[in-house]
Amino acid sequence: MKKILAMILAGGRVDELKALTQNRPKSTVPYGGMYRIIDFPLSNLMHSGIEKVGVLSQYHSASLVRHIGIGSSWDMVGRDRGAMVLPPFKSEKKSDWYRGTADAVYQNIDFIDEFNPDLVLVLSGDHVYHMNYQELIDYHLRKQADVTAVFKETPIQSAHRFGIATIDREDDKTGGRITAYHEKPVNPKSAWASLTIYLFNTDLLKKMLAELIQNSESFEFGHDILPRMVKSYRAYGYKFYGYWAYSRTIQEYWQANMDLLSDHSPIDLKQWNVRTNLDHRNLRDRTPTIIADSAEIHNSVIYTGCVIKGQVSDSVIFPGTIIEEGAKVTQSIIMFDTIIKKNSVIEKSILDTDVIINENCAIGRIDGENDRIDKDDDDEITVIGQATIIPSGSVIGRNRIIERTMKPDQFNHDTIISGKQ
Amino acid sequence: MRKTTAMLLAGGVGSRLNVLAKLRAKPAVPFGGIYRIIDFTLSNVMNSRLDHVGILTQYKPFSLMEHIGTGAPWDLVGRKRGAKILPPKTGEKDFDWYQGTADAIAQNLDFIYRDVPENVLVLSGDHIYYMDYRSLINFHEQADADITIAVREVPIETAHHFGIAIADEKNRILAWEEKPKQPKSNLASMGIYVFNTSFLIRALEKRQGPDFGKNIIPDSIQINKVMAYRFKGYWQDVGTLQSLWDANMDILDPDSELQLSRWKCRTNIEEEGMVGDRPPSYIGTSARVKNAIIAPYCTIDGEVYHSILSPGVKVCKGAVVRDSVIMHDCVIEEGAQLDHVITDKEVQIGANCRIGIGDVICPNQQFPDHLASGLTVIGKKCVIPPGTTIGKNCIINPLTSANQLGTHFLACGTTV
Repeated sequence: MKKILAMILAGGRVDELKALTQNRPKSTVPYGGMYRIIDFPLSNLMHSGIEKVGVLSQYHSASLVRHIGIGSSWDMVGRDRGAMVLPPFKSEKKSDWYRGTADAVYQNIDFIDEFNPDLVLVLSGDHVYHMNYQELIDYHLRKQADVTAVFKETPIQSAHRFGIATIDREDDKTGGRITAYHEKPVNPKSAWASLTIYLFNTDLLKKMLAELIQNSESFEFGHDILPRMVKSYRAYGYKFYGYWAYSRTIQEYWQANMDLLSDHSPIDLKQWNVRTNLDHRNLRDRTPTIIADSAEIHNSVIYTGCVIKGQVSDSVIFPGTIIEEGAKVTQSIIMFDTIIKKNSVIEKSILDTDVIINENCAIGRIDGENDRIDKDDDDEITVIGQATIIPSGSVIGRNRIIERTMKPDQFNHDTIISGKQ
Repeated sequence: MRKTTAMLLAGGVGSRLNVLAKLRAKPAVPFGGIYRIIDFTLSNVMNSRLDHVGILTQYKPFSLMEHIGTGAPWDLVGRKRGAKILPPKTGEKDFDWYQGTADAIAQNLDFIYRDVPENVLVLSGDHIYYMDYRSLINFHEQADADITIAVREVPIETAHHFGIAIADEKNRILAWEEKPKQPKSNLASMGIYVFNTSFLIRALEKRQGPDFGKNIIPDSIQINKVMAYRFKGYWQDVGTLQSLWDANMDILDPDSELQLSRWKCRTNIEEEGMVGDRPPSYIGTSARVKNAIIAPYCTIDGEVYHSILSPGVKVCKGAVVRDSVIMHDCVIEEGAQLDHVITDKEVQIGANCRIGIGDVICPNQQFPDHLASGLTVIGKKCVIPPGTTIGKNCIINPLTSANQLGTHFLACGTTV
């Protein structure tokens, strides 16, 4: 049995997620009615029997530190178990922010050395998927690989957004040797996209990182490490066929939530046995959800602590949501402890935590003449940032971003109706 | 407030809860979707900021012990906090089961001595209510009483179920009647007592019988100061199937005083089979849900009206659940209809079953005292085959299989 250490890259802020990542990294954006996105790799690790994890973080870490706790939610407490958040630090010689994914791991070589694993599994904290990493590890060992990365077939027209590998037919459906790798190629020659899951032999990882830090200006696993290894080492691609959501944009994040809403959802949360930290946002202490006589709910996901008196359809509702009489929520994601008051209409919107929508508002609605959106933008989603209070009677059209903690007196009514905030 | 140790009597058999208490003690009977009855008392202990509670178990304690765990859900873990399970011990005699409430406390004086409290608060784990015990204890201390008993006014026609206090205008108890046939007062005991520790120890030493209500209290009234603390809020003894159903339905009544969130009621959700590992609920496109409590991991494609759904319940397309309490992991198959039904955990109701349907013709034949109001109760892990009709006031024992049921029609009042 090999000794394995997992390192989760969880610190990233993604500009495209806008108001959702104003004060939290992408990995702790709420997902699926009770989870944070990082719960998926953490639960995968738990089910794969990998119980020692470093979580690399540098952007607004507080939410991450609170969520990970001591790792007990993922059974990572014990003599040789543990989950630890590793923020950037100052040291005698150098001190720096993490300059890239590879640099983040490099700066924590001491943490790796202390545990002294045979293999290091590098993961991202911001993907929704279910994978048994042991199968990847078995394949890596069987091929005597130096590095094994995981790939999934993607439509060729979106391949330019990913790291793309050409994988030979050595093991056909399971995987094969990587013969070429290009990060975000303009003209992709393959459809196998990297899921940014890398399994390294520890010694080689340390060697590659040391060389990179000496000789490069860029410090990313995808852009820098993997292409170098394809040339001179045994680099393998392991093929993944399950559901995998990449929530890099608001649209993708919204879609990944909407994917839960079906009798035959590709995301089987129960079978995946996804765990979250029930102390975060006091999930543990909430009452069951109360659905009133006036409520109508269709095709929606809902957890505890909600009071629903209005109409809800095709939506994901987090704990503590209150939807009053006459309010109508469709195709939306309503995060923790948000209140939607009487007769407000929410369409195709994401409401972050602790938002208050006062009476008679219309959010995310295509509103004919008042709305300047081009037809192409029809699909786009309105986002209301954390702890924002929307004054009663407000009309906020589609594709608007309201930044967090805005208070009623900060709104200029005209700009809300017709422009972007 | 002086130092107080709480002793929670959680050994109740709860025989009138019939099949629901066959496999578990009464305080461990599930309630309100995610709770067990004892959660209300334990949450009161937490919200009253009491630090030490001994929990006295005896009858089928396993569910209860697992549920209480370390006491962490009620914040009872820490240097000066603790929840301890106190099972009956083998004494000098063969096996000294608790003979009664006072006897149970007497056998656990060690636990009380350890903390050296000024007061001992005796609680029962059988009731749904919210009380800040601090005001009770402060009342006891200000009155300089030896015993203070929490009482509430009940309709005089139900007073014969309770211990009844006859008190003067200063709330001093002058006489005590245990379940009197002709009650002289409507001040009913809630089974909550505060004792001066030194008085309690003396009273237990010279006790004439094993019970507080039958022995210690009547014997003390003449010489000692026994006070009544009047409680006015919601309180329900969920000792019968009907009262258990009533209290569950009170959660759905916006005008009821039973307000789970205001009461800050907590439970242990990490327990086996409970909500910790469960994803959110999914309410499908064809679902209709009105006036209901929905716990995590329910899948609802049918119709649910005025009902309590516990974690993991599945209501398939075309099924209709009305005025019912459905406990954990029950499956209601397509087209089944339930009306005024309590199903214990892991019950399977086959397609097109009709349960609790029809008129109330007679009480339950075998247990007329337990079930006469029209509820039907199905025990844990029963499998009801498709197309079965079960009338009102029926009782199906736990673990009844499709074969054991042996019929597709059970008339009103049947027990299997």
